[in-house]
Amino acid sequence: MTAVVQAEGLTKYYGSRRGLADLTMEIQPGEVFGYLGPNGAGKTTTIRLLLDVIRPTSGLVRVLGGSPREPAVRARIGYLPGDLVLESRDRALDYLRFLGRVRGGVPSSRIESLADRFDADLSVPMRKLSKGNRQKIGLIQAFMHEPEFVILDEPTMGLDPLVQHEFLALVREVRASGRTVLMSSHVLAEVESVSDRVGIVRGGRLVAVENVAALREKAVRRVELHFAAPVPRADFEGLPGVRDLRVEGAALACTIDGRPDALIKAAARHTVVHLVSAEPDLEEIFLTYYSDEEPPR
Amino acid sequence: MNGPLISKSLRDHRGVTFWWTVGISAFMALYLAVYGSIKESPEVYGPAMIAKFPGPLRDLMGGLADMTSGAGYLQTAVYQLFVPMLFIACATLLANRSLAGPEENGTLELVLTLPVDRRRLVLARLAALALGLLAVAAVTLLVAWGMSVVVDNGVAFGHILAGHLGVLLLGLFHGTVALAVGAATGRRLVASAVVGVWVVAGYMVVTVGRSWDAISWLKWVSPFHYYAEGRPLYEGVPVGDYLVLAGATVVLALTAVLAFDRRDVGV
Ligand SMILES: Nc1ncnc2c1ncn2[C@@H]1O[C@H](COP(=O)(O)OP(=O)(O)OP(=O)(O)O)[C@@H](O)[C@H]1O
Ligand SMILES: [Mg+2]
Repeated sequence: MTAVVQAEGLTKYYGSRRGLADLTMEIQPGEVFGYLGPNGAGKTTTIRLLLDVIRPTSGLVRVLGGSPREPAVRARIGYLPGDLVLESRDRALDYLRFLGRVRGGVPSSRIESLADRFDADLSVPMRKLSKGNRQKIGLIQAFMHEPEFVILDEPTMGLDPLVQHEFLALVREVRASGRTVLMSSHVLAEVESVSDRVGIVRGGRLVAVENVAALREKAVRRVELHFAAPVPRADFEGLPGVRDLRVEGAALACTIDGRPDALIKAAARHTVVHLVSAEPDLEEIFLTYYSDEEPPR
Repeated sequence: MNGPLISKSLRDHRGVTFWWTVGISAFMALYLAVYGSIKESPEVYGPAMIAKFPGPLRDLMGGLADMTSGAGYLQTAVYQLFVPMLFIACATLLANRSLAGPEENGTLELVLTLPVDRRRLVLARLAALALGLLAVAAVTLLVAWGMSVVVDNGVAFGHILAGHLGVLLLGLFHGTVALAVGAATGRRLVASAVVGVWVVAGYMVVTVGRSWDAISWLKWVSPFHYYAEGRPLYEGVPVGDYLVLAGATVVLALTAVLAFDRRDVGV
């Protein structure tokens, strides 16, 4: 199967300013790829290269097996720009219809059903839209022609929680239908629940690509157990993955690296009355990518 | 796939084209209305009065050879300076709203990612520019002709058409200059500046500077030379000159297409 995105040594300089350096990666069909990084990391630069808005200084990029210069390739992509500008006096509906016509026709029923989902008012002149409502129009136009590949630059920016929820549901549907999504964000929490893999970019370089499931497995979580009677500390000492162990009478607290299996089996020898396990904080692991290393020069 | 692009641009242009049509029509109607009183009292506006104008100013207005004949007045008041300038300004405005403006305000990015070849996008914007300008020219031509009939200045429709066609070509040429510079730089200011300098220099060369040997050869790169030299209001369409203007416009259009096709947009 040809990769949806294939980048090799992709590099972009704006004059002498580095936007992106030597990006090599692949995105496979059917996956949701979260593209993460702090401000100025190079996310928008990468995305604009994928859509031929800007041209690489060096390196190669192929999208859906072809060059993004070809209109036929772009026809199969849906795109939400990071800073979407909708300035006209036209109603949003007219603009969406225009985009649909240029894309060779989009049924208005599909526009309407997306507008319903996001609770977007399409009869308002676009320049009068609030930030979040503008973002909704951007999302509708990115999804309305049912593209094979959806590229979203900070899609959740400005959306209220309800709409964010609806948006994530839509992304899941797109993945379920075998299509591919690339979405950028500053924080893992926003994309974690839908992403299969996340790439982390910093200072123009891709510093890590992680499987979200693997990341979750690596995650540190805090666990508290309460037993019917006091338990001996020795029963829990030295268990694989268990750290920061504290036993006080019938209560036990520790952190777990990876799988909680050994701890559960050890606890099963006593009567457990209460168990608390905090959600793994992926953000925390994730942030180590930001802080561990100096940004490469 | 160009149809929707062109009709969208025309929709975006309709405010500008409407109001400029109204403005230019009002200007022409006013000036032509005045001709009635000039015709009545030629002695007031005759050579004696014109002699009072300082020489350079007379040159600037194309000589002011005869203000009292119908064609002479129409030429001086309408087709010499003001209406061409209004057309050029209108064309530059439309051109800037076609590419450089959308690039500067950020609306162009989404359009670029549509399945339309960049070259076709530029051509579609050019087509909309030309159609918008054509609409302005068509209505204002009717006004010029209608008012000429009303004040009975005796200028044949064919000659008014010839002058008006020249104005349209001048507008198109400069609009295409603005579009080409905007396509190459993405900056409205640069595009307007290039048009402004070329217009002022070009106009001066064929008027004030025409008797000044050191610069008179520059008339060959002045669009106004190809517009005014053939005296369309008196002689009808100067075919060769107009073809030069049209040809130069086509060359500029191709330049715009090529320049835009190789650029990073929005940086
Ligand atoms: N048009 C431009 N001209 C010069 N430098 C630019 C330009 N666009 C981006 N850059 C630089 O390239 C680097 C990457 O920018 P980019 O916009 O790709 O970051 P980003 O990850 O999208 O950031 P954000 O989260 O703030 O949107 C930054 O250092 C930025 O200053
Ligand atoms: Mg960005």
